[in-house]
Parts: sequence; C-alpha cells; structure tokens
Amino acid sequence: MAKLVEIIGVTHNPFLPGLIAKNAEPTVAAAAEDYKGMQEKMVQAKPDVLIVVASDHLNQWFMDNMPAFIVGKAPVAEGPFPWEARSFGLAPYKTPVDVDLARSLVRDGFRHGVDFAFSEEFMIDHAFTVPLNFVRPQMDLPIVPVWTNVMAPPVPPAERFYAVGRALREIVEGLPGNQRVAVLSSGHLAVEVGGPKRSTYSADPDFDRRMMELIKAGEGETVVKEATWERLCKAGNVAAGFLNYVLLLGLAGKAPSATGLHFPESTAAVNYMAWDLHNGGGK
Amino acid sequence: MSRYQVDKIMRQIVLNPASAEAFQKDAAGFIKGLDLTDQEREALIKIDYPTLYKLGAHHFLLNGFVMRVWPGDRHALMAEYSKNLAPHGYPDVST
Repeated sequence: MAKLVEIIGVTHNPFLPGLIAKNAEPTVAAAAEDYKGMQEKMVQAKPDVLIVVASDHLNQWFMDNMPAFIVGKAPVAEGPFPWEARSFGLAPYKTPVDVDLARSLVRDGFRHGVDFAFSEEFMIDHAFTVPLNFVRPQMDLPIVPVWTNVMAPPVPPAERFYAVGRALREIVEGLPGNQRVAVLSSGHLAVEVGGPKRSTYSADPDFDRRMMELIKAGEGETVVKEATWERLCKAGNVAAGFLNYVLLLGLAGKAPSATGLHFPESTAAVNYMAWDLHNGGGK
Repeated sequence: MSRYQVDKIMRQIVLNPASAEAFQKDAAGFIKGLDLTDQEREALIKIDYPTLYKLGAHHFLLNGFVMRVWPGDRHALMAEYSKNLAPHGYPDVST
C-alpha cells in the first residue's frame, strides 16, 4: 500500500524570498533556517511524490467558475504568474505532475465523500512556488497540485477542510503499490492584504498563538470549532488561508505537530508545522 | 451582478499588462458598455479606491488593481491606503 511519509504546513508570503535574500532581520533569518529544516525533512522522508495543497489568488480560479477543491492533472506544473514574478521578484518553479496519482485522488475522492473538480490546464501561483522553492528547490519531485477556495466567499467551512484532509489520507493509504507520498500545505495565520489593518507583522497575534498551541497539542477538532468564518474574518481579511492548515489537521488526525512561529517586525507571521511520519511522528 | 463585473475588470488589469496600459490611457473607454452602476463606473475611472472598497470590491483584487494603475506617488499611496479604507470596515465581498 502507498504510505504517507511527511506532512508539512508552511506559509507562502511572497515578500519572504526577497527578505531572506537580504537577510533582513533575525526573525526572517530564523524563518530561513526553518525552511532549510523542512527541506532536510523532505529529503529524509524520501517521498516519490508530493501532494501540494494551496490556494489560487484569483489568478485562474475566479468567480466565473469557482471550484471549492480542484486537482491539477496536466503533465507539468509551472509558475508563478508573470505579474507575480514582476511584482515580487519571484523565481520560477517547474516540475512534473504525477498524473496517475492526480487521477486517483479525483476517482477515489467520490467514494470518500469529496467531489474534486479537476483541470488539464493550469498554472501554479506564488502560494505553490514560494514554499516549493524553499522546501524542494531541486524541482525533481513530481507533485499533484490541489487548490482550495479560500479567497471568494462562500468559502467551505473548517469542518469541510478537515474532512477533505481526512479523505486525502484515506485515499492515499488505500492506494495499491508502495508509493511514498508527502503532503505540503501552503497557508498562513492571521494576514490582512489591502484592508484597514495594514499590520506590520501578524494581523492578530492572539489568533496565531492560540492556533499554533492547539496544533502543537494535536487539538485539531478544537481548531475546527474555533476557526469559524467570523473568527477568521476578524483575524484578517485573507486569514481564511489558515483553512489550508486545517486540512492538514484532518490529514494528521489527532497527532501533535512540531511547530514554529516567528513574528518579524516588518512582514507577516512566518510559521510552519510538520509531522514526520517517516520518523515515527504523527502518532 | 455589477460587483462581479468590478472584480472582473480589476483582475483583467492585474493579470494583463496591455489591459493595464489601455485603462491608464483611457479608463472611460476601457469600461464603456460594461454592466456597471454609475457609481462603480465613476469610482473605477477615478481610481477612487475607498468607494470601490465600500461597494464590496474584492480587497485582494482592489489592492492589486490600485497598485498597478495608480498615477501618483506609490509610497504616499501605501501610507494612506489602509487609513482611507478604515471608515468602511469590512464590506461583504461575496458576489
């Protein structure tokens, strides 16, 4: 049977590559160290494929045809979008897609209560390319991109993200063969973009600390109860990106996670979580 | 319906440099004939971002749109942007 070997959740702040390159401040340097640690974890886990869960910032999935959860199954994933590369100075990322696994997620999803949409034509935006460039800069690992709608309300509630995470685990662990599967989820904590709270670091440090404590303790079900749409909106106008971490909690079950949280002075909160299943973690 | 149209216009300008240039040259011409209210049309032409925000333009697209086409000083814009939105709180952005 296929095996889940690593689960990592990490932020995708598009300013971070530039800040890290400039070695801007101690907390950013700490984030860079965390990214190196995640890269090492991913090497140690020896995955054959990486499922990457992330949002799309209305670049391609838009209100004309908005999927709640969509799997990419074209042969190649490439990004970011040209305007993102121009605006943030982001490096490109290009890697093969494991089309067979992508198809399995869609096909088996139906039996596990998830009707994934799918696409044969897509790009991956900075929510994918920023963490991938840090965590797997070699670009040698096939991925399966899974997008979630955290941008255009109505957004699925935390319960649904948790259930989709649980379904993903059941699907992966039910696959024939001996594929080693890692999951990377790209989200964030309390963040506001283009709203009244132009915060210099976290848009809501209380939310961030509370959620990271719960995640560290393996209290995923409490996170689901507390991460209501109202609470997320109060935390920041794009804080629904936190729901991609909630999906990971469903995937990890009741297992506590290693976590890291930094509050830099001049940018959004940098955070990560990891369950090293290959190393006895996640139990 | 027209809130969606506003989002669609802003997104097109963020994604497509030729659209951004066309809007900067002739904003009224760029949006001519589109399904917008008079208030939305005027706010788009003037890049009146507090009004667009108040009307429920998606905050992420609005930010990208304004940063792309703002004719004045960017640093001054960034310094006052949040402050100018604050009186309007958090309008519903659902379409």
